Amino acid sequence: MDTLAAELRVPLRAFDVELTISVGGTVALVGPSGAGKSTILRAIAGLVRPTAGRIALGGDVWFDAATRVSLPPERRAVGHVFQHYALFPHLTVRQNVAFGAKGAPVDELLERFGVGTLADARPTALSGGEQQRVALARAIARRPRVLLLDEPLSALDAHTRATVRSELRELLRTLGLPALVVTHDFEDASALADTVGVVIDGRLRQLATPAELVSSPADAFVGALTGANLLHGTASRSGDRLTALRLRTGELVYSTDEVVGPAAAIVYPWDVTVSHAAPDDSAQNHLAADVASVTRLGNRVRVAVGPLTAEVTAESAERLGIEEGRPLVATWKATATRLVPL
Amino acid sequence: MKLLLVAVLALAAVAVGIAHAAQSHTTLTVYAASSLTDVLPRIDGGERYSFGGSDTLAAQIEQGAPADVFTAANLAIPRALYAKHLVTKPRVLTRNALVLIVPRSNPAHIHHVSDLRRHGVKLVVAGATVPVGKYTLQVLAKLHLDVVLKNVVSHETDVRGVLGKVALGEADAGFVYATDARTARGKVTMIPIPARGRPSVAYGIAVVRSSKHRAAAAAYVAKLLAMPAQRRLRVAGFLAR
Amino acid sequence: MRFLIVLVAATAVVLGFLALPVIAIFAHVSPVTLASQLGNPVVDDALRVSAITTLEAQALVLFLGTPAAYLLATRRFPGRAVAVTAIELPLVLPPAVAGIGLLAAFGRTGLLHTGLPFTRAAVTLAVAFVSGPLYVRAAIAAFEAVDTSIVDAARTLGAGPARAFFRVVLPLARRGLSAGEALALARGLGEFGATIMFAGSLQRVTQTLPLAIYAEFDVNFDVTLAIGGLLVLISAAILVALKVASAWTLSLQSSGFRFAPSTSS
Repeated sequence: MDTLAAELRVPLRAFDVELTISVGGTVALVGPSGAGKSTILRAIAGLVRPTAGRIALGGDVWFDAATRVSLPPERRAVGHVFQHYALFPHLTVRQNVAFGAKGAPVDELLERFGVGTLADARPTALSGGEQQRVALARAIARRPRVLLLDEPLSALDAHTRATVRSELRELLRTLGLPALVVTHDFEDASALADTVGVVIDGRLRQLATPAELVSSPADAFVGALTGANLLHGTASRSGDRLTALRLRTGELVYSTDEVVGPAAAIVYPWDVTVSHAAPDDSAQNHLAADVASVTRLGNRVRVAVGPLTAEVTAESAERLGIEEGRPLVATWKATATRLVPL
Repeated sequence: MKLLLVAVLALAAVAVGIAHAAQSHTTLTVYAASSLTDVLPRIDGGERYSFGGSDTLAAQIEQGAPADVFTAANLAIPRALYAKHLVTKPRVLTRNALVLIVPRSNPAHIHHVSDLRRHGVKLVVAGATVPVGKYTLQVLAKLHLDVVLKNVVSHETDVRGVLGKVALGEADAGFVYATDARTARGKVTMIPIPARGRPSVAYGIAVVRSSKHRAAAAAYVAKLLAMPAQRRLRVAGFLAR
Repeated sequence: MRFLIVLVAATAVVLGFLALPVIAIFAHVSPVTLASQLGNPVVDDALRVSAITTLEAQALVLFLGTPAAYLLATRRFPGRAVAVTAIELPLVLPPAVAGIGLLAAFGRTGLLHTGLPFTRAAVTLAVAFVSGPLYVRAAIAAFEAVDTSIVDAARTLGAGPARAFFRVVLPLARRGLSAGEALALARGLGEFGATIMFAGSLQRVTQTLPLAIYAEFDVNFDVTLAIGGLLVLISAAILVALKVASAWTLSLQSSGFRFAPSTSS
């Protein structure tokens, strides 16, 4: 797999986007709207010209401010999926996918993405999920060497989103291309990529695995963005109108959400309390483990208890004598546990 | 909202009242040939004038245009209207001379009417239905210079159009009335037409029968035919009746 | 209820006022007379001159105006507002003034001494001058309405700027462009003031249909009506053709798939 090495500066109205990143595999860029994430994709695609930097895929230089090289978009092997798909409304699905295809087997591609039956339809007749798949197929038909996905899930409703997300994750894995995914949703980022970069005001604040971002945010901004804990497991009904999620590590986590099958529990660090002993309360989830890390953020502290990160006040951390390696019990309500199907 | 409506109506009523009060002098509508554009308002500036090609004005009167007085650059047109009982019997108002004009710079070096025969000369004339256009054809026929017509590049709708094109220097030559040439004195040079070719240009004037101010119209015509007005016409370059 | 009555009444007046003069032309001249006048050399010559100059003028407008409109619609540069205003200016000029301007620029005594006045080319230029801005203004709006992300998508799919323009922008802007061209065509067909000023009026050379109407008005009212009727029919045909063309494109763009789309996502 080639590596996309991008180093760029693009002045925007409120700030400059300035970033250096190396993409081999799937990298997700998260950040609030207006942080300049889309600009990064556009610069790599060649739709906007940076004022400084260098963008190269493997040995091919696409942009180099020093030597004044700047390939136009059509000469870069990118597969760019736009936020609202940007499908050609005046062409059929097949014609859309065939647009940049250069001899790729279009019908095969349509089948693979599950839109074979819609080949003669126009984009306006498709649902959001279908449009997204057509946009993906269209980008892939070009045989790109790097994928750029701009908010691929934002325009979908909650139900479709979950399905599409797992399909997308599969696709990225199978394709084996460097991919840069931009999203404002940390959950989506964590689900799709193993490396997540947090972009705020045009700068890359931290680049790490999702778990690291949650447990050891580089600063308060990152901390605020990467709120949730994600615990993967399998869910099944358990009497009392509760759902039990069996984690891969074996523990059971309860939720009041009704989900069955592979799922992830979402727990926000500030919903989790820590103590030395488990309070006697069946309406609550408990997790006992050694403290994996302690990170201070102003007057708050993030404590990683096994796979779960809790956020407590600095005083509480002091009072409880929290330090790495010491055992601790994390407690949180079943009602504070959201379940999402995977 | 209602108040506004009432106010507007009241203002309108007042305006109409004022207009009527000012009608102690009846303003006549005079349709006149364009060659009279400068002189008529100077003789009587209190009327409403509409100048144009005599043929167009006549056609408008036939369609019911609200003219009180009609004067054309020939007698034939008013006589045709008289035959249709649309105007009173036409009288001769004044006469004019036809003249050949060239731009001051004289790009085609025209010094005589016969020079118009030269190949490539851009000649502008009025359309055949306009009096000055008819006169032009008469002149060329009398001088046996009909061949000159192949050099015509445009048939203007009235004499002022011809004058304009020559004055601007776009045309090499054109036929207009002497009175029109005088208004553009600095821009054009006049070349007289040989005596044997000169047409008889007589302006006819008549009262429009459907006029609502027949008396005032007749008075206006009388005024124009009287000495003071005739003197003014001579000063402007028109010829004696 | 009363408000609705006012609306309907106003509409009736507007319809009547606008439709009556057009209908009245045909009340005066029967189709037979109109057809017979088509053999009249004045009418035929005027038709020929109008047809040729209209075609030439609109070709100029389309082939030069379209790329210009695209540039102005998609690029921001210093002086752009001035450029757009300059292009729109002929629209607010009285036609006679436009004619004077053309003489001042291209006349024998003008800035660029050309041999244009009194030629058929002069008619073409006059028509292009007064009708072009109508098209360019509409074209700019049509291009501005094209979603830039769709054009970006085309570029990232391997289409160069030209291919993206012809295969994506133009089809999507087609409705607005047709509407603009309809306006320009209509304006050009009826052009009088600038034409007579710059090109003069000579049968078979520069006398267009509108000029012929004016020339024939006092000679033969029947001919005048016939030319008028002819112009009405031509204009109506253009309007209908353009409406049909744009409705056809619109239906292509928005028609759903013939069979119900899948509900599974």
